[in-house]
Amino acid sequence: MLKRHAGWVIAAPATLAVIIFLVLPVAATIGTTFGDPDGLFAAYADFFNSGFRRNVLWRTLEISLITTAISLFVGFLTAYVVAKSPGRLKSLLIIAAVFPLLTGVVVRSFAWLIMLGKNGILNNFLVAIGVTNEPLSMLYTQGAVIAAMVYLFVPLTILTLVGVLENIPEDVVQASASLGATPAATFRQVILPLAVPGLIVGAVLVFTGSFTAYATPQLVGGERQMVMGTLMYQRAMVSFDWVGASTIAAIMVVLTITVVLAMSRMARRLNPMAT
Amino acid sequence: MTLPLTIENLTAHYGPTKVLEDLSLSVGAGELVSLLGASGCGKTTTLRLVAGFLEPTAGTILLGGKDLTKLPAYKRDIGLVFQNYALFPHLSVLENVAFGLKQRGISPAERQKRALAMLERVGLSPLADRLPGALSGGQKQRVALARALVIEPPLLMFDEPLSNLDAKLRIDMRVEIRQLQRANGTTSVYVTHDQEEAFSISDRVAIMNAGRIMQFDTPEVLYQRPANAFVARFVGFENLIPMHVLARQGEQVIAEAAGGVKLHFNQDRFGQIPDDFVLAARADGLAATANLAAEGLPAMLGLRTYLGRAYQYQCETAAGLLVANGSLSDPLRSGDGARLVPLPEQCCILAPEHS
Repeated sequence: MLKRHAGWVIAAPATLAVIIFLVLPVAATIGTTFGDPDGLFAAYADFFNSGFRRNVLWRTLEISLITTAISLFVGFLTAYVVAKSPGRLKSLLIIAAVFPLLTGVVVRSFAWLIMLGKNGILNNFLVAIGVTNEPLSMLYTQGAVIAAMVYLFVPLTILTLVGVLENIPEDVVQASASLGATPAATFRQVILPLAVPGLIVGAVLVFTGSFTAYATPQLVGGERQMVMGTLMYQRAMVSFDWVGASTIAAIMVVLTITVVLAMSRMARRLNPMAT
Repeated sequence: MTLPLTIENLTAHYGPTKVLEDLSLSVGAGELVSLLGASGCGKTTTLRLVAGFLEPTAGTILLGGKDLTKLPAYKRDIGLVFQNYALFPHLSVLENVAFGLKQRGISPAERQKRALAMLERVGLSPLADRLPGALSGGQKQRVALARALVIEPPLLMFDEPLSNLDAKLRIDMRVEIRQLQRANGTTSVYVTHDQEEAFSISDRVAIMNAGRIMQFDTPEVLYQRPANAFVARFVGFENLIPMHVLARQGEQVIAEAAGGVKLHFNQDRFGQIPDDFVLAARADGLAATANLAAEGLPAMLGLRTYLGRAYQYQCETAAGLLVANGSLSDPLRSGDGARLVPLPEQCCILAPEHS
């Protein structure tokens, strides 16, 4: 009796916790978005009828997709160098890559305020070498948000990709060369497809992270670069429009899941072994 | 197309350690040569140097007179079969075989046709659409073979291709490899640590030790007439007995082993015998007899084992522990004294080891 149900018994506390603290609140939150007296989808119609909110949605998608692409590219190159390094150096490089993760998101975003501000390091440097005569306004631009988020997420892509690249057997790469594939062809036809599982994991982490980011766009992007996260905070905490905030949350959940599914489908086409 | 391979004075280092020393080897067009030796003897290093995965510190590698030494691996046009198969796990069997053709800019229709024809030859055309993960070890090795053969390389190299297969399959596969190699007439280099495999498959075998070739000859010569003590031990001469010449009478040589026992040797049979030499004999080249008057090494018989065709004895002698065979009709007992008579037609005389 006990043996047959042992699995359930062991899993019960965690399952209950997930149901009570995650599934029920999320269901309740999403439930309220369908409770509008003007119709089932009135809250969503509200959202999409507002040009401002549509703009925020597009901007968020744009920022997070660009962030994902740049983070994967930079992370891949770095991970490749790390994976090829000899043992001792490799550990050092991995520690260096992970180091930024030891400080909080807010602190790291603040660093960009110092760097990109009117009197910031970058502006002082540009003026000093004579590229510009007066400081550029770099803060509160889309570029600033993307730069800060790439900085935030590259360590994650490095970590996920180092593991995958290390697991590509050396003799498979050598087999490719022996069959006449140039280094570029080996990269494109062997290494890249075999790295796809890592690229997916990295893409999902970066995309979900940057799509739902709040602190970084708030600090570096401000009001001018409002994204879904900051918009949702504003609706809930400034306007006390809880249904509006829940609607934004629901849209974010659906979009995140859609993009993640699209990514893994794309991956399967590149590498039939990727799940 | 098939070309001879010539390796001249090749030296290689891993960091500060010298792993290959002044190695020269020539493989004739269409010949299959094995590099045989224990791990660390330099056989795989040699293969990796020829393939272009390692750079030699000195020496040249010529394929049909063309110098490969400075060429990157992907320009060498050498078919390689790896120990772990090294198939592309994300490509189907057909795409794996067509990979080399694709790199050569052959049209998709043509490379599909050629890859399928090659899969037909190794008996795998029904599995063309599978991924390598769904194949057995033997099937994977066939795909690897087809993938290397389909580019029609002037040189094929095998790196312990059968060591991950079970014993029965290993024998089938080596026959298959030999037949395909013969049919194509491709010059081949085959690396293995398995003596039986090397001897059964090769035209000639290079026995290697510590980065050098100890002897390079046909399996028959290696087996019957090893050139030195290392090769003798490698091909199963269990008994290596140091001897010293006492007197020469024409072609007759009288030599003494440890313990003062004198034996007669005939230079007609053995050629010029040096003053100090090693008498090498397998167990069946040393006959154990109870006749204490026979000219042989005095021995005390130890453990007796039954081999089917003979009895084998562990024997204690003044020259150390030796292994000798005795006839089935006349079993001797442990603890008996005996004489071990060298049978000249099954013995070799070698230069002493410098150690």
